[in-house]
Amino acid sequence: MKRRSFVFFTMLLILALVLSGCNWWNKSDSNSKEGSNREVIVGLVSEPDSVDIHRTSSTGEANIPLYDTLLKLDNDGNIIPNLITDYEVVGDGKEVIFNLKENAVFHSGKPVNAEAVKLSFERLVASSPFSTNAGEIDNIEVLSEFSFKIKWKNQFAPFFINATTPFLAPLDVSVLDDKGEGFEKNPSGSGPLKLKEINRGDSLVYEPYKDFDWKGQKPGFDSVKFRFIPDEETRILEFKKGNVDVLLNVPYQYIEDLEKDSEVTIKRVPGDVLSYLGWNNKLPIFQDVNVRQAIALAIDRDSIIDNTLNGEAQAVFGPLPKAAFGYSEKIETMATDKYTRDTGAAKKLLSEAGWKDINKDGVVMKDGEEFSVDLWVDDDPANQRAAQVIQSQLMEIGIKITISVKEAATIIEQTPNGAHEMLLWSFGWPDADVLNFLLFGKDKSKRLHYENEKIYSILEKGAIEMDQEARLKLYEKAQEMLVEESPFVPLYVKENITAIRNFESFEIHPIEGSIEWTSVKVKE
Amino acid sequence: MSSYLVKRIFTMMITILGVSVLVFMIIHLIPGNPINHILGDFATEESIRELEIRLGLDRSIPVQYFSYMLNAIQGDLGTSYITGYTVVEEILNRIPITAQLALFSMVFGSITGIVIGVIAAVKKNTIYDQLAMLLALVGISAPGFWIALFLILLFSYQLNIFPISGYNGFYSLVLPSITLGLGTAGSIARMTRSSMLDVIKQDYIRTAKAKGAGVYRLIFRHSLQNALIPVVTLIGMQFGYLMAGAVVTETVFALPGLGSLIVSAISTRDIPTVQGLLLFMAAMIIIVNFVVDLLYTKLDPRIQYE
Repeated sequence: MKRRSFVFFTMLLILALVLSGCNWWNKSDSNSKEGSNREVIVGLVSEPDSVDIHRTSSTGEANIPLYDTLLKLDNDGNIIPNLITDYEVVGDGKEVIFNLKENAVFHSGKPVNAEAVKLSFERLVASSPFSTNAGEIDNIEVLSEFSFKIKWKNQFAPFFINATTPFLAPLDVSVLDDKGEGFEKNPSGSGPLKLKEINRGDSLVYEPYKDFDWKGQKPGFDSVKFRFIPDEETRILEFKKGNVDVLLNVPYQYIEDLEKDSEVTIKRVPGDVLSYLGWNNKLPIFQDVNVRQAIALAIDRDSIIDNTLNGEAQAVFGPLPKAAFGYSEKIETMATDKYTRDTGAAKKLLSEAGWKDINKDGVVMKDGEEFSVDLWVDDDPANQRAAQVIQSQLMEIGIKITISVKEAATIIEQTPNGAHEMLLWSFGWPDADVLNFLLFGKDKSKRLHYENEKIYSILEKGAIEMDQEARLKLYEKAQEMLVEESPFVPLYVKENITAIRNFESFEIHPIEGSIEWTSVKVKE
Repeated sequence: MSSYLVKRIFTMMITILGVSVLVFMIIHLIPGNPINHILGDFATEESIRELEIRLGLDRSIPVQYFSYMLNAIQGDLGTSYITGYTVVEEILNRIPITAQLALFSMVFGSITGIVIGVIAAVKKNTIYDQLAMLLALVGISAPGFWIALFLILLFSYQLNIFPISGYNGFYSLVLPSITLGLGTAGSIARMTRSSMLDVIKQDYIRTAKAKGAGVYRLIFRHSLQNALIPVVTLIGMQFGYLMAGAVVTETVFALPGLGSLIVSAISTRDIPTVQGLLLFMAAMIIIVNFVVDLLYTKLDPRIQYE
């Protein structure tokens, strides 16, 4: 019996050791910095769903550098050439001729020419759920090796800004299998980083792509490893220990501590994601514009930012964040003047709408009903704290809020059906067309359910107006109306906080918020 | 024995079938769906419809279930909606890490638990016994993430002995195995102690003592070997606990195993991956328990299955 037990445990141990690949007591740690001293290790929360940009909406630092975009944004947010050197809008604006630069090459070694771009667009249109970003393409014609023409069924003005995102970046279809799949195992884009190793659930390893345009210089690093470390504490400890060089999305509570370390630099870039307090505008309780304006007037953004985000966000009053095309300083000033916190004015508006604190319990009532709504918030602790501050601020004007914490997947599924009353949510897109396709377009208002013929007719015009100046004017008009109608309360844009160590130079694009790999130089 | 085997295998199949129905129902009942995750804010009615057809989600739930089970029987657990990899590929890719973690934890938990249990039983009602049982209680009740962070801070961050996170062979699995194995060690220690105390009271121990058997012979030859039978059963039953614990441990230590895969699959509502993983884990637990039951007859020849 003794022998049997001994054999049982010994076999367990042997099996475990065999499974570990005989890597007994191997102290060399692939995740430490003992290897190449020009290796950059980036710590991220989660792995992208896929590196195939036609198959996922989950884009981030770990898959964006695989792609080079057709156009790009400069540091002031202007659209400038990239893979496309120039373009010409033809006739009524339904056709545009694009010219490509002639020396771009995919990671597979094949040229990024008109035929390759056409095939990439055809795959996007035929099989990608994100084809709406390209508009309704009628056909694509190759005019010469580096020139092609896209014809749309209707004019599609957001194309140019969308072409600055990886969603429309060309991918090399020659690496796909006969079913048009398999990109995630053999990816080939034309971006600054070429994928070298895929370790599912653990890391993606890239090397600088030698044929990329490095602005006349050599890449300032030898390889980049994106490590996926879901636990916040572990991620921070890896950075503090020096095993991670770039820590993205630093949790706010750790910033002060990291700033004390003289070797660490904190980079702050305003994000392009606007957090907002929204509600189901179809509900009778939100029909009166006085009520909607009263809610907007009751909110103190600075208090939310200070109490929940350690002050690391910028208050926003207008409908668009500064990073989006269509943002207007004039609108922002107008909205700030109109909705800077004033609880007296808010109470007055509620009273005009018939909501009064009849039984003096602090909650306003109308027709025997209390003003009580359920606020949905996701499981992000910072958002939950923000919801509590909002709850307290709205209570000051007599609106009672109950908070319901729900999984993001549940909120995304149920809000288009109008199952919610109020929600704390966000959106981020570089073009004002987001007001149309997501927030206020006809039958497209997924979270806010706001219907206003005048507003969405302007937004529809904005989507087909090819003259950019005229387009800006249309969006300014739509935003003016939105500020007046107050169908939601824009709150803030969080700062993207990145902590770095051991770099001679390291830049983050001020508008897009992504790492500029051409600027990265590791300290020797 | 053979009729017992047939009966057990039949019961196992029914159990796995029951698990598959339950898993299928739960994953379809919880709010949220993969379409919304994949499309994000770009969802239009048309794109939702197209994707539903492509993923086969336009079919009725029973049709989806039978089609899934038909493929599963042939070893095809489907393709992830989110990553494009087949579920079998994902499992094969990650199972070595979870298997190592579970085995190391089991070895650590068993050895530590038995040693602590024996000390507690032999030194009954002394300070050693109380200390051993306190340790066992801590092992059982301390949350995994807390133990993990404590170990990381001490052995990785301060003493620089082990890596903080990630996978690189045995060395990187030491702290996760201790984290996961502590709960098992606690349960085994308590079981070993009580089982040892029962055995120590037996007449044959008194006889052996009277015949002049030494302390070590008494403990290891006469007491422990008999006390181990319920302990081995418990070790088998701990496999399910280890699988569940791997979810937290793999997340904290950033290990790319099945536990971390299931967390991401649930959050993205990746139905084929969740179904495939849960089915696989359930099958593993059922099989391990079956093997332990068979082992039981080997450890104690008096036990016969009819």
